[in-house]
Amino acid sequence: MGESSSSADTPLWAVVELDHFRTPEQTQASQWRRSLRSASTWLVGKNSAEQQVKEENELRALPEVKLAHIVPPIDWAPAAKALAQQLNGLEAPVAFFITPPHCGHVSVVRQWAELQHFTCLPPPTLSELTEGGAQWVERFANQREWAVTALERYFLRHTQGIQGVREFLERALSGRLGQGVIGCNSWTYAYLQEVIGIEGAPVFTLQSMEGEQLSHYFAKIAAYEGQSPLVYSTRTGKPVLAESATQSNDKAPNNDKTPNKELQRLAAHCRGHIGLAWHYWRERLREPTSDDEEALWLVDALAEAELSTDTGDIATLVLHALLIHGGLDDHSLGQVLPFSHHEALNARLALQRKGIVSSNDGRWQITPLSYASVRQLLESRNYLVDPL
Amino acid sequence: MDEQQKYARLFNDIDSQTLITLGMVLLSTIVLIIVSQRGLNWLATRLHGQVRFRIFALVPLTRLLILITALAIIVPIVIEPSLRNMVTLLGALGLAIGFAMKDYVSSLIAGVVSAIELPYRPGDWVNIEGTYGEVKHVGLRTVDIQTPDDDLVAVPHLKLWDHAVYNANNGGTSLQCVASFYLHPEHEAGWVRKALRDVALTSAYLKFDKPVIVVAEEKPWGTHYRIRAYPVDPRQQFLFITDLTVRGKTVLNAAGVQSAMLPPDAALDARNAAESSY
Repeated sequence: MGESSSSADTPLWAVVELDHFRTPEQTQASQWRRSLRSASTWLVGKNSAEQQVKEENELRALPEVKLAHIVPPIDWAPAAKALAQQLNGLEAPVAFFITPPHCGHVSVVRQWAELQHFTCLPPPTLSELTEGGAQWVERFANQREWAVTALERYFLRHTQGIQGVREFLERALSGRLGQGVIGCNSWTYAYLQEVIGIEGAPVFTLQSMEGEQLSHYFAKIAAYEGQSPLVYSTRTGKPVLAESATQSNDKAPNNDKTPNKELQRLAAHCRGHIGLAWHYWRERLREPTSDDEEALWLVDALAEAELSTDTGDIATLVLHALLIHGGLDDHSLGQVLPFSHHEALNARLALQRKGIVSSNDGRWQITPLSYASVRQLLESRNYLVDPL
Repeated sequence: MDEQQKYARLFNDIDSQTLITLGMVLLSTIVLIIVSQRGLNWLATRLHGQVRFRIFALVPLTRLLILITALAIIVPIVIEPSLRNMVTLLGALGLAIGFAMKDYVSSLIAGVVSAIELPYRPGDWVNIEGTYGEVKHVGLRTVDIQTPDDDLVAVPHLKLWDHAVYNANNGGTSLQCVASFYLHPEHEAGWVRKALRDVALTSAYLKFDKPVIVVAEEKPWGTHYRIRAYPVDPRQQFLFITDLTVRGKTVLNAAGVQSAMLPPDAALDARNAAESSY
């Protein structure tokens, strides 16, 4: 994918073809910074934080209630509408909508399906996948308008586990299953493209956001009676949110010409993915310990759980398997890895202790704050990575 | 008397100051070589991917540069660097080498050639005269190869002159692995081919930017299948082959495909063929 996105005038929720996805400005610089930080940690131990305008011990975490008001969950409805616009008039029998983990493809496709009155297909059970049959595909034979919200639930990376999804995609791509939209984790998409070959189907994704767009978005969701809270960076001491959060349309402000370096750094770090940036924003907001101050502070946004450069092969394989499957439970994890269940369990426990993976509905996933460093590690070791 | 004066002119006056200078240069050279070799090796073993191989390739090259620099400093201190003196010195050296230390010096020269031509670098997987393993160290006279059985074999660089060097990854991260399956002649070959391809495509170790090929070869005793594929990291080659073999057997057994019963001589041939295909 290309390096820099074009302008701040693009809508916040732009759904684009995969070929048109562009990472934000300074993404490469952000990767170099991460490598440098990782190398210095490795050489001289845990390095002290950068010079701070506001010390972290003068701040405390926000109460959950306040946090829920300032950083409410992302409403994916605008993205679903943008997807509907893109799919309007599309001739192909199947279209893909892909995003990285934690970036909303499930919600977007589900909301799109509700808007269009398409049926969401249920995923096969684990036993259906491990048996290797394609009987579960027959259940979809009578559907003419359907949506799959998470294709990563339709396969397992072993010889039996890919037979069903191969049959399903062959039927879907040939038009035998009618019209459908498939939501898919970007890592699953990369893997299935190599294993099954899904070229030819249109693939859409959310365009990346620049720092200015993030600033506008965070100000808008935190606004109360048209006023957004003041948030300062502990690193620079400067405000990080766009001044005006009252604009009703979904356009990024183009009257503010001062670049927002803190959020541009965040955008570059998250490769422009709003879902990841939202998690950083939520985790890193603080309020002063003294009650006479009202302003909020954003602590160093990029000090995430980092993977050391000497991460072993077993841990790396566990991380890759989790990404390709969009999360797995312990039982399934043992089935897709080339070592025993207890070795897989030990590796997963070690990663959990470091805060690299966490459980979500019984499935172990890479935590949002670790995703960037995990992706960079896997890319540096020549593992298959996603196109986003 | 004339002869003595002639030799005296060949070498400079060696006083205590010169000796101290020579000692300092030699000491610095040794320290620099040790530090650079250990430092670069230490760094490279902790890295992955292409960067690892680039740093490994610097190890012999750095040593060569330090040695040349040291020689360039030492020779003018000891010898008056005139054409006549150099011819005399090189002649004497040539005689000594020709009679006494031919193989040793040949290895040293081959070591210099290996640092420039790079037929093997630390991190490469090579086969020299039947010794297969990972190059751990490229020394002045020998290359140290660690075999899969954890033996460290020192092979003189001298072998470069008249023996083939098989380099499986040639300074890169791509190393082809082969997993063999010997099957009874009665089976559905098309299905087996697809199944073995799926076995490779679902391996956690597979490198996806290289092709996966299943080769079938008909033999008098049955069919010999080979999966040719690449692991993500050359160091994973044995784990990768094991993974392909174990899961391949599971899939074939579950489908009722029987292994070929090889006669002893054919079994020996097959084993040799499998070993030579590394």
